[in-house]
Amino acid sequence: MSGAARVGLTIDGRPVEAAAGASVLKAAEAAGIAIPHFCYHPGLEIEGNCRMCLVEIEGYPKLELSCSTVVREGMIVRTSTDRVRAARKDVLEFLLAEHPLDCPICDKAGECLLQDHYGLHGRYAGRMAEVRERREKKIPIGRGLILDRERCVLCTRCVRFLRQVTRTGELGVFERAVGSELGLAEGRPVDNDYSGNLVDICPVGAITSEDFRFRTRAWFLDRRPSVCPRCARGCAVVVESVTGYPLAAGERRVYRVTAGVNPAVNGHWICDLGREGRREIDEGRLGAVLRKGVREPGLAWPGAVAGIAAAVRSVPAAERPGGVAVVLNARLTSEELALARELFVAGLGLRNVFFAGLKPGRADGLLLTAERMPNGRGVLEAGLSPRPPALEALAAARVLIVFGPYLTEHFEAGALGRALAAVPAKFLVSAHAGPLDRLFDAVLPVTVPAEKAGTYTNIDGLRQGFSRAVEPAPGVVPEGAVLARLARSLGLDIGDADAR
Amino acid sequence: MTEPEALLLPPDDGSWRLADYLRRGGYEAARKALTSMAPADVVSEVRRANLRGRGGAGFPAGVKWGFVPPAGPGPRYLCVNTDEGEPGTFKDRLILRRAPHALIEGLVITAFAVGVPKAFIYVRGEYARTAGRLEAALAEARAAGFIGPRVLGTDFSLDVVVHYGAGAYICGEETALLESLEGRRGLPRVKPPFPAAVGLFRAPTVVNNVETLAAVPGIIRRGADWFVGRGLPKDGGTRLFGVSGAVRRPGVYELPVGTPLRRIIEDHAGGPPEGRRIKAVVPGGLSAPVLRPEEIDLPMDYDSLAGAGSMLGSAGIVVIPDGAPMLDILHLTARFYAHESCGKCAPCRIGTAWMLKIVERLRRSGGRPADLDLILSLGEGIRGRTLCPLGDGAAQSVRAVVTKFREELEQAVAR
Repeated sequence: MSGAARVGLTIDGRPVEAAAGASVLKAAEAAGIAIPHFCYHPGLEIEGNCRMCLVEIEGYPKLELSCSTVVREGMIVRTSTDRVRAARKDVLEFLLAEHPLDCPICDKAGECLLQDHYGLHGRYAGRMAEVRERREKKIPIGRGLILDRERCVLCTRCVRFLRQVTRTGELGVFERAVGSELGLAEGRPVDNDYSGNLVDICPVGAITSEDFRFRTRAWFLDRRPSVCPRCARGCAVVVESVTGYPLAAGERRVYRVTAGVNPAVNGHWICDLGREGRREIDEGRLGAVLRKGVREPGLAWPGAVAGIAAAVRSVPAAERPGGVAVVLNARLTSEELALARELFVAGLGLRNVFFAGLKPGRADGLLLTAERMPNGRGVLEAGLSPRPPALEALAAARVLIVFGPYLTEHFEAGALGRALAAVPAKFLVSAHAGPLDRLFDAVLPVTVPAEKAGTYTNIDGLRQGFSRAVEPAPGVVPEGAVLARLARSLGLDIGDADAR
Repeated sequence: MTEPEALLLPPDDGSWRLADYLRRGGYEAARKALTSMAPADVVSEVRRANLRGRGGAGFPAGVKWGFVPPAGPGPRYLCVNTDEGEPGTFKDRLILRRAPHALIEGLVITAFAVGVPKAFIYVRGEYARTAGRLEAALAEARAAGFIGPRVLGTDFSLDVVVHYGAGAYICGEETALLESLEGRRGLPRVKPPFPAAVGLFRAPTVVNNVETLAAVPGIIRRGADWFVGRGLPKDGGTRLFGVSGAVRRPGVYELPVGTPLRRIIEDHAGGPPEGRRIKAVVPGGLSAPVLRPEEIDLPMDYDSLAGAGSMLGSAGIVVIPDGAPMLDILHLTARFYAHESCGKCAPCRIGTAWMLKIVERLRRSGGRPADLDLILSLGEGIRGRTLCPLGDGAAQSVRAVVTKFREELEQAVAR
């Protein structure tokens, strides 16, 4: 426990402790008492406009905002009195009076705060008999985002996000009173690399994403946490895949990647690059072992590993350190890197163990790092040296084992092709199909990070374990399984991929 | 009333210039405060005078000043709320026209008391023409050394900036005023923190109404006891009562706090025109719940009006005569708040619009008593549930019209 002052208060008759300076809402949440809200978001400044989180505090004549009221010693809070419940019901009645109720065609249905709160706190008989305001319902606001002004409850989470987090300020509220509506400031579209968070934080279906619109329903999605592999930050993500119905051929499994919450790394946000990572889970995947770029029906991955082992064995043990070359990558988990070290460095004594990876990009000063591989720190921690591949060393190898499609990031295609042509036995272990496939004797399909469990160490040295968020296709295994099997085939005891 | 020179509002004879003001003893109070009093003594004198804010909420000015933390390293500001937007209210405009130097002198004394080197006067856009006099008076005061560097030769300096709003009612709410002054949409802030702690540009800020500040020189010059003696013990001084509507002599009357409402209407404003009777009275601007004729024997002070279920507010009295359809009064009331709601808080944004839609339907095609009950119920959904008092004003003014004139309204909507 830190030295921060604690405050004792009573919420709904229960003694509760909270950090000094915490809001009543947070204190209640920590005690397991949920207070409904729309505009409050833990990653944004308090706005206090939705009026949904009002509670009774002894000594105050009016209901008070639990999102902005700071806890005090001895405070007595009541969150479910008749007065509080009436206030919640009234707020919902107002919001829904000017809401289109188009839930059947709304992407947010099933994960909508208006729906959720109505079910718990509304349940009134409708009294709205007047004509609703008509507003625009499909305004492209940039970055594949669509604004529906009728659904908007003007919580201004999006406005605050763009002002306080990205500091780009594209959205604002225009006009006033019931004419108030969300709009683009000076006609400038939303254009920043964190735009997808607007969909995550919109409590209703006012901001939706073209990538997700009308494609599935929220209740079919299985949401599982993972760590984003698309840069060295290691943001918490939620991989949302369909498990509720059998997929048609070619249909997406992973409908979206959304932001997970990790105060130590990314808070509540992820970048659009990470969000677009949903594509690499589904698209361009290798589903079977290839031989010379062609699918080999009878051959499963254990057979292909046997082929690699045979090739390695064909090189006399004394010549292996220079004759067998390996290219690893920093998308491998720390566990897999440890296996690779045991197998290739300690076991086979290889001199030519290289690391290939995506070229560094631009760091954006927020979350995205220049480094685009997730486990560079893990490579060092595993006692491996992140040497970039040397073309001559690759060309001189008698057996070449490459993990990942990244050689193309380092070498021009022609030179790479010539170098590979000189290698008698070469194997590629990769999750995605690519131009290298036909240049290798065999290609083994493996999982993407979302399909495996393991540990990444992020750019700040934080070790983060993660579990499998999506089931891999049959016959597709993690690199760790390939490494472990290869070691066994070579008679080496290097432990197990699952030993963390 | 006492001697004419003690009046806050001099006669409308063009004697608003500095020379006229000095002839009436102007800036003596500022000289007294700056050269012979400690800031804390000025604050306590005003606190003793029980000068309650003239903008509408009636918060004691001296107490408000006391909330400002002791002078620290950062900036601090004084803002004059000249966004006089409450329907039925036009008193501050007359101060700008007839006594701009009283406002400026009050501003100098207050800034000195609170330790503020920079003041803003936030003027509603509609008053731009009237405020020409204010700007001329500021130029005179600056030239004469009453504002600017080293006021009256002391170490105290005061810079004054006039800023014009764009005409939103909400900008009269002090935190919305601050937002507007900072260049944003005028929307109320979450309180606490109150402006005295976190105000303009996040610095400690005092926001006072024009009439409040204009009353300060008299308190300093003649003392708190004199001021209290002119009004009530807990609500000192005189007030500018604006009377409009069905009276023979509409206008602004400076009278002691506590003067009975009926006397203001009948004795000072001359009562309703020949042959007309009072049907209803709005006692303190539109947000103050309307009173029936039998309810107007009331002293006009904050506590008495609150006790009668209404409020003194801005002391803008609107007299509604017999013959005025209360459905029309209900309509204009509902329309005003639906139009002026800033739209920030859900209950006010949607509730005021919903109430107006119902009233418009009732006017168009009639309705049932249940529609009136729904209006009352919607008001209860707004009242006490919003960031600022606009929602309360909407709910309570509509409620008073509906409950106090229910019979007439029921007949009017029955078709």
